[in-house]
Amino acid sequence: MTRHDFLVKWGVYALALLPIWFLEAYLLPHFPILGVKPVLLPLATVAAAVLEGAAGGAGFGLGVGLLSCFLYPDANGGFVLLFALMGLAAGLLTQYVLRQDFWGCLLCSALALGVLDAVRILSRFFFRAEALYPMLRLAGMELWISLLFTPLVYALFLWVFRRVPKRTHF
Amino acid sequence: MKDFFRNNGVLLLIIAVLLSLIVAVTSALLGGFADPFSNLLGILSTPIRNGINSVVGWTEDRYQALFRQSELEAEYEQLKKDYAELEQTLREAQQAIDENERLRNLLGLKEERPDLEFAEATVTAVGSTNWDSTLTLGQGSSSGLAAGQAVIDEYGNLVGLIDEVGTNWSRVMTIIDSDLELGGLVARTDSAALLEGNFELMGQGKLRLSYLPENSEFMTGDQVLTSGLSGLYPAGLVVGHIEEVRTDPSGMTRYAVVAPEADLQNLRQVFVITSFASTQ
Repeated sequence: MTRHDFLVKWGVYALALLPIWFLEAYLLPHFPILGVKPVLLPLATVAAAVLEGAAGGAGFGLGVGLLSCFLYPDANGGFVLLFALMGLAAGLLTQYVLRQDFWGCLLCSALALGVLDAVRILSRFFFRAEALYPMLRLAGMELWISLLFTPLVYALFLWVFRRVPKRTHF
Repeated sequence: MKDFFRNNGVLLLIIAVLLSLIVAVTSALLGGFADPFSNLLGILSTPIRNGINSVVGWTEDRYQALFRQSELEAEYEQLKKDYAELEQTLREAQQAIDENERLRNLLGLKEERPDLEFAEATVTAVGSTNWDSTLTLGQGSSSGLAAGQAVIDEYGNLVGLIDEVGTNWSRVMTIIDSDLELGGLVARTDSAALLEGNFELMGQGKLRLSYLPENSEFMTGDQVLTSGLSGLYPAGLVVGHIEEVRTDPSGMTRYAVVAPEADLQNLRQVFVITSFASTQ
Protein backbone atom coordinates (compact mmCIF):
# COMPACT_ATOMS: atom_id res chain seq x y z
CA MET A 1 0.00 0.00 0.00
CA THR A 2 1.48 3.34 -1.04
CA ARG A 3 1.37 6.42 1.14
CA HIS A 4 -1.23 7.88 -1.20
CA ASP A 5 -3.46 4.79 -0.82
CA PHE A 6 -3.03 4.94 2.93
CA LEU A 7 -4.03 8.59 3.14
CA VAL A 8 -7.01 8.17 0.82
CA LYS A 9 -8.28 5.13 2.71
CA TRP A 10 -8.10 6.61 6.18
CA GLY A 11 -9.34 9.92 4.87
CA VAL A 12 -12.49 8.17 3.69
CA TYR A 13 -12.84 6.44 7.08
CA ALA A 14 -12.45 9.82 8.78
CA LEU A 15 -15.19 11.22 6.56
CA ALA A 16 -17.43 8.29 7.51
CA LEU A 17 -16.83 9.19 11.14
CA LEU A 18 -18.20 12.70 10.63
CA PRO A 19 -21.91 11.78 10.44
CA ILE A 20 -21.48 9.49 13.47
CA TRP A 21 -19.88 12.31 15.42
CA PHE A 22 -22.54 14.78 14.29
CA LEU A 23 -25.27 12.36 15.31
CA GLU A 24 -23.80 11.73 18.74
CA ALA A 25 -22.70 15.28 19.52
CA TYR A 26 -25.46 17.41 18.09
CA LEU A 27 -28.56 15.45 17.19
CA LEU A 28 -29.14 12.59 19.63
CA PRO A 29 -28.58 14.68 22.81
CA HIS A 30 -31.80 16.48 21.91
CA PHE A 31 -33.74 13.23 21.51
CA PRO A 32 -32.64 10.88 24.29
CA ILE A 33 -34.15 7.41 24.12
CA LEU A 34 -35.80 6.50 27.43
CA GLY A 35 -33.82 9.39 28.90
CA VAL A 36 -30.51 7.98 27.71
CA LYS A 37 -28.22 9.44 25.04
CA PRO A 38 -26.69 6.74 22.82
CA VAL A 39 -22.90 6.44 22.62
CA LEU A 40 -21.67 5.93 19.05
CA LEU A 41 -17.91 6.59 18.96
CA PRO A 42 -16.96 3.18 20.50
CA LEU A 43 -19.23 1.52 17.92
CA ALA A 44 -17.39 3.30 15.11
CA THR A 45 -14.02 2.20 16.51
CA VAL A 46 -15.15 -1.41 16.75
CA ALA A 47 -16.74 -1.42 13.27
CA ALA A 48 -13.50 -0.14 11.70
CA ALA A 49 -11.47 -2.64 13.71
CA VAL A 50 -13.66 -5.58 12.69
CA LEU A 51 -13.28 -4.69 9.03
CA GLU A 52 -9.65 -3.54 9.00
CA GLY A 53 -8.10 -5.78 11.64
CA ALA A 54 -6.12 -5.11 14.81
CA ALA A 55 -3.54 -2.64 13.51
CA GLY A 56 -6.05 -0.58 11.54
CA GLY A 57 -8.49 -0.71 14.45
CA ALA A 58 -5.87 0.50 16.91
CA GLY A 59 -4.91 3.39 14.64
CA PHE A 60 -8.51 4.36 14.01
CA GLY A 61 -9.24 4.02 17.74
CA LEU A 62 -6.42 6.45 18.46
CA GLY A 63 -8.04 9.05 16.21
CA VAL A 64 -11.50 8.47 17.66
CA GLY A 65 -9.98 8.70 21.16
CA LEU A 66 -8.67 12.17 20.33
CA LEU A 67 -12.13 13.17 19.15
CA SER A 68 -13.70 11.72 22.31
CA CYS A 69 -11.51 14.00 24.44
CA PHE A 70 -13.37 16.94 22.95
CA LEU A 71 -16.77 15.27 23.09
CA TYR A 72 -16.74 13.66 26.54
CA PRO A 73 -15.95 16.02 29.42
CA ASP A 74 -14.69 13.12 31.56
CA ALA A 75 -12.44 11.70 28.83
CA ASN A 76 -9.09 13.32 29.74
CA GLY A 77 -6.14 11.80 27.92
CA GLY A 78 -6.91 8.29 29.07
CA PHE A 79 -9.63 7.80 26.49
CA VAL A 80 -7.09 8.05 23.65
CA LEU A 81 -5.36 4.95 24.98
CA LEU A 82 -8.66 3.29 25.85
CA PHE A 83 -10.09 3.72 22.36
CA ALA A 84 -6.84 2.54 20.74
CA LEU A 85 -6.91 -0.58 22.93
CA MET A 86 -10.58 -1.04 22.11
CA GLY A 87 -9.76 -1.04 18.38
CA LEU A 88 -6.81 -3.37 18.86
CA ALA A 89 -8.80 -5.84 20.96
CA ALA A 90 -11.82 -5.81 18.63
CA GLY A 91 -9.54 -6.40 15.65
CA LEU A 92 -7.75 -9.30 17.34
CA LEU A 93 -10.94 -10.85 18.68
CA THR A 94 -12.71 -10.85 15.33
CA GLN A 95 -9.57 -11.98 13.47
CA TYR A 96 -8.76 -14.94 15.69
CA VAL A 97 -11.72 -15.79 17.92
CA LEU A 98 -14.95 -14.42 16.45
CA ARG A 99 -15.92 -13.66 12.87
CA GLN A 100 -15.32 -10.49 10.89
CA ASP A 101 -19.01 -9.85 10.33
CA PHE A 102 -21.93 -7.98 11.87
CA TRP A 103 -22.35 -10.43 14.76
CA GLY A 104 -18.68 -10.18 15.66
CA CYS A 105 -19.05 -6.40 15.53
CA LEU A 106 -22.15 -6.50 17.75
CA LEU A 107 -20.44 -8.62 20.39
CA CYS A 108 -17.27 -6.51 20.34
CA SER A 109 -19.37 -3.33 20.52
CA ALA A 110 -21.12 -4.64 23.64
CA LEU A 111 -17.73 -5.44 25.17
CA ALA A 112 -16.31 -2.03 24.22
CA LEU A 113 -19.29 -0.17 25.70
CA GLY A 114 -19.05 -2.34 28.80
CA VAL A 115 -15.35 -1.55 29.24
CA LEU A 116 -15.94 2.17 28.70
CA ASP A 117 -18.71 2.26 31.30
CA ALA A 118 -16.70 0.08 33.68
CA VAL A 119 -13.86 2.62 33.54
CA ARG A 120 -16.30 5.42 34.25
CA ILE A 121 -18.02 3.57 37.08
CA LEU A 122 -14.78 2.53 38.77
CA SER A 123 -13.29 6.02 38.60
CA ARG A 124 -16.45 7.58 39.99
CA PHE A 125 -16.87 4.91 42.63
CA PHE A 126 -13.32 5.18 43.94
CA PHE A 127 -12.51 8.85 43.39
CA ARG A 128 -15.87 10.52 43.91
CA ALA A 129 -17.63 7.97 46.12
CA GLU A 130 -20.72 7.94 43.88
CA ALA A 131 -23.43 5.38 44.61
CA LEU A 132 -22.86 2.19 42.60
CA TYR A 133 -26.44 1.18 41.80
CA PRO A 134 -27.52 4.29 39.82
CA MET A 135 -24.31 4.08 37.79
CA LEU A 136 -24.83 0.39 36.99
CA ARG A 137 -28.43 1.07 35.98
CA LEU A 138 -27.36 3.89 33.68
CA ALA A 139 -24.54 1.81 32.19
CA GLY A 140 -26.97 -1.01 31.42
CA MET A 141 -29.46 1.30 29.74
CA GLU A 142 -26.71 3.05 27.82
CA LEU A 143 -25.30 -0.25 26.58
CA TRP A 144 -28.60 -1.57 25.25
CA ILE A 145 -29.70 1.68 23.68
CA SER A 146 -26.31 2.29 22.06
CA LEU A 147 -26.26 -1.24 20.64
CA LEU A 148 -29.43 -0.40 18.71
CA PHE A 149 -27.24 1.80 16.52
CA THR A 150 -24.72 -0.95 15.71
CA PRO A 151 -26.43 -1.95 12.41
CA LEU A 152 -26.35 1.65 11.21
CA VAL A 153 -22.70 2.23 12.15
CA TYR A 154 -21.56 -1.17 10.83
CA ALA A 155 -23.44 -0.66 7.55
CA LEU A 156 -21.79 2.73 7.05
CA PHE A 157 -18.27 1.38 7.65
CA LEU A 158 -18.94 -1.74 5.56
CA TRP A 159 -19.99 0.56 2.73
CA VAL A 160 -16.69 2.44 3.08
CA PHE A 161 -14.69 -0.81 3.36
CA ARG A 162 -16.16 -2.11 0.11
CA ARG A 163 -15.30 1.10 -1.70
CA VAL A 164 -11.69 1.61 -0.61
CA PRO A 165 -9.22 -0.18 -2.93
CA LYS A 166 -8.87 -3.90 -2.11
CA ARG A 167 -5.06 -3.71 -2.09
CA THR A 168 -5.32 -1.43 0.95
CA HIS A 169 -7.12 -4.06 3.08
CA PHE A 170 -5.05 -5.48 5.89
CA MET B 1 -86.46 47.48 -53.71
CA LYS B 2 -84.78 50.63 -55.00
CA ASP B 3 -88.20 51.86 -56.18
CA PHE B 4 -89.77 51.09 -52.83
CA PHE B 5 -87.44 53.48 -51.05
CA ARG B 6 -87.83 56.05 -53.83
CA ASN B 7 -91.63 55.88 -53.70
CA ASN B 8 -91.98 55.62 -49.91
CA GLY B 9 -88.95 57.61 -48.75
CA VAL B 10 -91.00 60.40 -47.22
CA LEU B 11 -93.27 57.89 -45.49
CA LEU B 12 -90.29 56.11 -44.04
CA LEU B 13 -88.83 59.37 -42.84
CA ILE B 14 -92.09 60.22 -41.14
CA ILE B 15 -92.19 56.77 -39.50
CA ALA B 16 -88.61 57.21 -38.30
CA VAL B 17 -89.38 60.60 -36.84
CA LEU B 18 -92.49 59.21 -35.16
CA LEU B 19 -90.58 56.25 -33.76
CA SER B 20 -87.84 58.46 -32.43
CA LEU B 21 -90.44 60.69 -30.85
CA ILE B 22 -92.15 57.68 -29.25
CA VAL B 23 -88.79 56.42 -27.93
CA ALA B 24 -87.84 59.83 -26.63
CA VAL B 25 -91.21 60.40 -25.00
CA THR B 26 -91.42 56.93 -23.42
CA SER B 27 -87.83 57.24 -22.19
CA ALA B 28 -88.68 60.52 -20.60
CA LEU B 29 -91.89 59.16 -19.13
CA LEU B 30 -90.37 55.93 -17.79
CA GLY B 31 -87.62 57.88 -15.97
CA GLY B 32 -84.50 55.74 -16.32
CA PHE B 33 -86.12 52.48 -17.35
CA ALA B 34 -85.21 51.42 -20.90
CA ASP B 35 -87.69 52.26 -23.60
CA PRO B 36 -89.63 49.31 -25.00
CA PHE B 37 -87.57 49.03 -28.16
CA SER B 38 -84.23 49.14 -26.41
CA ASN B 39 -85.56 46.77 -23.80
CA LEU B 40 -86.75 44.35 -26.46
CA LEU B 41 -83.41 44.57 -28.23
CA GLY B 42 -81.59 44.06 -24.97
CA ILE B 43 -83.71 41.05 -24.10
CA LEU B 44 -83.07 39.50 -27.46
CA SER B 45 -79.37 40.30 -27.59
CA THR B 46 -78.43 39.35 -24.02
CA PRO B 47 -78.11 35.58 -24.64
CA ILE B 48 -76.11 36.30 -27.78
CA ARG B 49 -73.88 38.74 -25.90
CA ASN B 50 -73.41 36.25 -23.10
CA GLY B 51 -72.51 33.55 -25.58
CA ILE B 52 -70.03 35.81 -27.33
CA ASN B 53 -68.56 36.82 -23.98
CA SER B 54 -68.12 33.20 -22.99
CA VAL B 55 -66.43 32.38 -26.25
CA VAL B 56 -64.14 35.40 -25.90
CA GLY B 57 -63.36 34.44 -22.29
CA TRP B 58 -62.60 30.87 -23.25
CA THR B 59 -60.40 32.05 -26.11
CA GLU B 60 -58.53 34.39 -23.74
CA ASP B 61 -58.01 31.57 -21.28
CA ARG B 62 -56.67 29.30 -24.01
CA TYR B 63 -54.44 32.09 -25.22
CA GLN B 64 -53.08 32.62 -21.75
CA ALA B 65 -52.64 28.89 -21.27
CA LEU B 66 -50.82 28.61 -24.60
CA PHE B 67 -48.78 31.77 -24.69
CA ARG B 68 -48.50 32.87 -21.04
CA GLN B 69 -47.88 29.53 -19.33
CA SER B 70 -44.15 30.03 -19.09
CA GLU B 71 -44.73 33.57 -17.92
CA LEU B 72 -47.15 32.33 -15.25
CA GLU B 73 -44.75 29.59 -14.18
CA ALA B 74 -41.99 32.17 -13.81
CA GLU B 75 -44.38 34.34 -11.83
CA TYR B 76 -45.28 31.36 -9.62
CA GLU B 77 -41.61 30.56 -9.01
CA GLN B 78 -40.96 34.19 -8.13
CA LEU B 79 -43.90 34.16 -5.73
CA LYS B 80 -42.58 31.00 -4.13
CA LYS B 81 -39.20 32.67 -3.67
CA ASP B 82 -40.86 35.77 -2.27
CA TYR B 83 -42.85 33.60 0.12
CA ALA B 84 -39.72 31.78 1.29
CA GLU B 85 -37.96 35.11 1.81
CA LEU B 86 -40.92 36.41 3.78
CA GLU B 87 -40.94 33.29 5.90
CA GLN B 88 -37.20 33.73 6.55
CA THR B 89 -37.78 37.36 7.48
CA LEU B 90 -40.56 36.27 9.82
CA ARG B 91 -38.29 33.72 11.48
CA GLU B 92 -35.56 36.31 11.90
CA ALA B 93 -38.07 38.76 13.29
CA GLN B 94 -39.28 36.14 15.77
CA GLN B 95 -35.68 35.46 16.83
CA ALA B 96 -35.12 39.20 17.22
CA ILE B 97 -38.27 39.46 19.33
CA ASP B 98 -37.11 36.57 21.54
CA GLU B 99 -33.64 38.09 21.90
CA ASN B 100 -35.18 41.45 22.64
CA GLU B 101 -37.24 39.91 25.42
CA ARG B 102 -34.19 38.19 26.90
CA LEU B 103 -32.22 41.42 26.80
CA ARG B 104 -35.10 43.32 28.40
CA ASN B 105 -35.15 40.77 31.21
CA LEU B 106 -31.40 41.13 31.54
CA LEU B 107 -31.74 44.89 31.65
CA GLY B 108 -34.07 44.46 34.61
CA LEU B 109 -31.50 42.20 36.24
CA LYS B 110 -28.74 44.73 35.55
CA GLU B 111 -30.76 47.39 37.32
CA GLU B 112 -31.37 45.05 40.23
CA ARG B 113 -27.75 43.91 40.43
CA PRO B 114 -25.44 46.74 39.39
CA ASP B 115 -22.55 44.86 41.02
CA LEU B 116 -22.54 42.26 38.24
CA GLU B 117 -21.02 42.53 34.78
CA PHE B 118 -22.25 40.21 32.05
CA ALA B 119 -21.08 38.81 28.75
CA GLU B 120 -23.69 37.40 26.40
CA ALA B 121 -23.14 33.83 25.13
CA THR B 122 -25.01 31.42 22.88
CA VAL B 123 -25.59 27.79 23.77
CA THR B 124 -24.31 25.81 20.80
CA ALA B 125 -24.64 22.25 22.10
CA VAL B 126 -25.86 20.25 25.05
CA GLY B 127 -23.65 17.58 26.59
CA SER B 128 -23.65 14.30 24.70
CA THR B 129 -22.81 11.93 27.55
CA ASN B 130 -25.09 10.54 30.22
CA TRP B 131 -22.36 10.86 32.85
CA ASP B 132 -22.08 14.64 32.98
CA SER B 133 -24.41 17.56 32.53
CA THR B 134 -22.75 20.17 30.36
CA LEU B 135 -23.49 22.88 27.83
CA THR B 136 -21.17 24.22 25.17
CA LEU B 137 -21.12 27.96 24.54
CA GLY B 138 -20.12 29.64 21.31
CA GLN B 139 -17.89 32.16 23.10
CA GLY B 140 -14.56 31.61 24.80
CA SER B 141 -11.48 33.36 26.10
CA SER B 142 -11.52 35.79 23.18
CA SER B 143 -14.82 37.11 24.55
CA GLY B 144 -13.44 37.48 28.04
CA LEU B 145 -14.75 34.21 29.45
CA ALA B 146 -12.69 32.25 31.96
CA ALA B 147 -12.99 29.01 33.89
CA GLY B 148 -14.92 29.32 37.14
CA GLN B 149 -17.22 32.14 36.01
CA ALA B 150 -20.89 31.77 36.86
CA VAL B 151 -23.42 31.42 34.04
CA ILE B 152 -27.00 32.63 34.44
CA ASP B 153 -30.14 32.83 32.32
CA GLU B 154 -31.89 36.10 31.51
CA TYR B 155 -33.84 36.00 34.77
CA GLY B 156 -30.70 35.72 36.86
CA ASN B 157 -31.14 32.03 37.66
CA LEU B 158 -27.87 30.16 37.99
CA VAL B 159 -27.22 27.78 35.07
CA GLY B 160 -23.77 26.54 36.01
CA LEU B 161 -20.10 27.35 36.10
CA ILE B 162 -17.62 27.53 33.26
CA ASP B 163 -15.50 24.41 33.47
CA GLU B 164 -13.26 24.65 30.42
CA VAL B 165 -12.50 27.49 28.03
CA GLY B 166 -11.24 27.47 24.45
CA THR B 167 -10.53 30.45 22.23
CA ASN B 168 -14.04 30.67 20.82
CA TRP B 169 -15.92 28.07 22.86
CA SER B 170 -16.38 27.13 26.48
CA ARG B 171 -17.93 24.27 28.38
CA VAL B 172 -20.33 24.91 31.23
CA MET B 173 -20.81 22.41 34.03
CA THR B 174 -24.48 22.85 34.91
CA ILE B 175 -25.69 23.05 38.47
CA ILE B 176 -26.97 19.46 38.36
CA ASP B 177 -23.60 17.97 37.29
CA SER B 178 -22.34 15.50 39.88
CA ASP B 179 -19.00 17.37 40.07
CA LEU B 180 -20.52 20.65 41.16
CA GLU B 181 -20.06 22.01 44.68
CA LEU B 182 -20.81 25.56 45.80
CA GLY B 183 -22.14 27.43 48.78
CA GLY B 184 -25.92 27.69 49.03
CA LEU B 185 -28.27 29.70 51.17
CA VAL B 186 -31.94 29.12 51.98
CA ALA B 187 -33.46 32.56 51.51
CA ARG B 188 -36.31 32.26 54.05
CA THR B 189 -34.24 30.97 56.96
CA ASP B 190 -30.91 32.48 55.91
CA SER B 191 -29.32 29.08 56.52
CA ALA B 192 -26.07 28.32 54.74
CA ALA B 193 -25.48 24.83 53.32
CA LEU B 194 -23.62 23.12 50.51
CA LEU B 195 -25.10 22.78 47.04
CA GLU B 196 -23.75 19.70 45.32
CA GLY B 197 -24.54 17.65 42.28
CA ASN B 198 -25.53 14.05 42.79
CA PHE B 199 -25.31 11.32 40.19
CA GLU B 200 -28.74 9.85 40.90
CA LEU B 201 -30.46 13.25 41.07
CA MET B 202 -28.66 14.44 37.92
CA GLY B 203 -30.74 11.99 35.89
CA GLN B 204 -33.86 13.65 37.30
CA GLY B 205 -32.53 17.14 36.58
CA LYS B 206 -32.06 18.04 40.27
CA LEU B 207 -29.29 18.61 42.82
CA ARG B 208 -28.95 18.38 46.56
CA LEU B 209 -28.44 20.84 49.38
CA SER B 210 -26.31 19.06 51.97
CA TYR B 211 -25.08 19.80 55.49
CA LEU B 212 -28.35 21.45 56.49
CA PRO B 213 -28.21 23.12 59.91
CA GLU B 214 -29.87 20.89 62.50
CA ASN B 215 -31.97 23.59 64.11
CA SER B 216 -33.51 24.92 60.91
CA GLU B 217 -36.85 23.89 59.44
CA PHE B 218 -37.24 23.86 55.69
CA MET B 219 -40.37 23.92 53.61
CA THR B 220 -41.15 22.78 50.12
CA GLY B 221 -40.76 25.77 47.82
CA ASP B 222 -38.08 27.52 49.90
CA GLN B 223 -35.86 29.44 47.52
CA VAL B 224 -32.19 28.49 47.43
CA LEU B 225 -29.59 31.10 46.48
CA THR B 226 -25.83 31.13 46.13
CA SER B 227 -24.22 32.17 49.39
CA GLY B 228 -21.15 33.76 47.81
CA LEU B 229 -19.23 32.94 51.00
CA SER B 230 -16.26 31.53 49.12
CA GLY B 231 -15.86 34.76 47.17
CA LEU B 232 -15.52 32.70 44.00
CA TYR B 233 -19.13 33.22 42.87
CA PRO B 234 -21.55 36.11 43.39
CA ALA B 235 -24.02 35.89 46.25
CA GLY B 236 -27.79 35.95 45.79
CA LEU B 237 -28.12 34.16 42.47
CA VAL B 238 -31.24 32.02 42.38
CA VAL B 239 -30.37 28.32 42.13
CA GLY B 240 -33.78 26.72 42.63
CA HIS B 241 -36.32 25.75 45.24
CA ILE B 242 -36.49 22.95 47.77
CA GLU B 243 -38.64 20.08 46.57
CA GLU B 244 -38.31 17.80 49.57
CA VAL B 245 -36.13 17.20 52.58
CA ARG B 246 -34.71 13.70 53.03
CA THR B 247 -32.69 11.94 55.65
CA ASP B 248 -29.36 10.41 54.68
CA PRO B 249 -29.28 6.57 54.54
CA SER B 250 -27.12 6.74 57.69
CA GLY B 251 -30.00 8.52 59.43
CA MET B 252 -27.58 11.07 60.85
CA THR B 253 -27.97 14.02 58.51
CA ARG B 254 -30.60 15.60 56.33
CA TYR B 255 -30.37 16.94 52.85
CA ALA B 256 -32.80 18.76 50.59
CA VAL B 257 -33.56 17.95 46.97
CA VAL B 258 -33.41 21.18 44.97
CA ALA B 259 -35.14 21.67 41.64
CA PRO B 260 -33.26 24.22 39.50
CA GLU B 261 -35.09 27.38 38.52
CA ALA B 262 -33.30 27.65 35.16
CA ASP B 263 -34.72 25.53 32.33
CA LEU B 264 -31.47 23.69 31.62
CA GLN B 265 -32.85 21.67 28.71
CA ASN B 266 -34.06 24.56 26.58
CA LEU B 267 -31.46 27.28 26.97
CA ARG B 268 -30.42 29.15 23.84
CA GLN B 269 -28.78 32.23 25.23
CA VAL B 270 -27.06 32.69 28.58
CA PHE B 271 -25.09 35.40 30.34
CA VAL B 272 -21.69 34.89 31.90
CA ILE B 273 -20.87 36.95 34.98
CA THR B 274 -17.43 38.25 34.10
CA SER B 275 -16.98 40.33 37.25
CA PHE B 276 -18.80 40.99 40.49
CA ALA B 277 -18.32 42.74 43.81
CA SER B 278 -17.32 40.10 46.33
CA THR B 279 -19.17 39.98 49.64
CA GLN B 280 -16.03 38.81 51.42
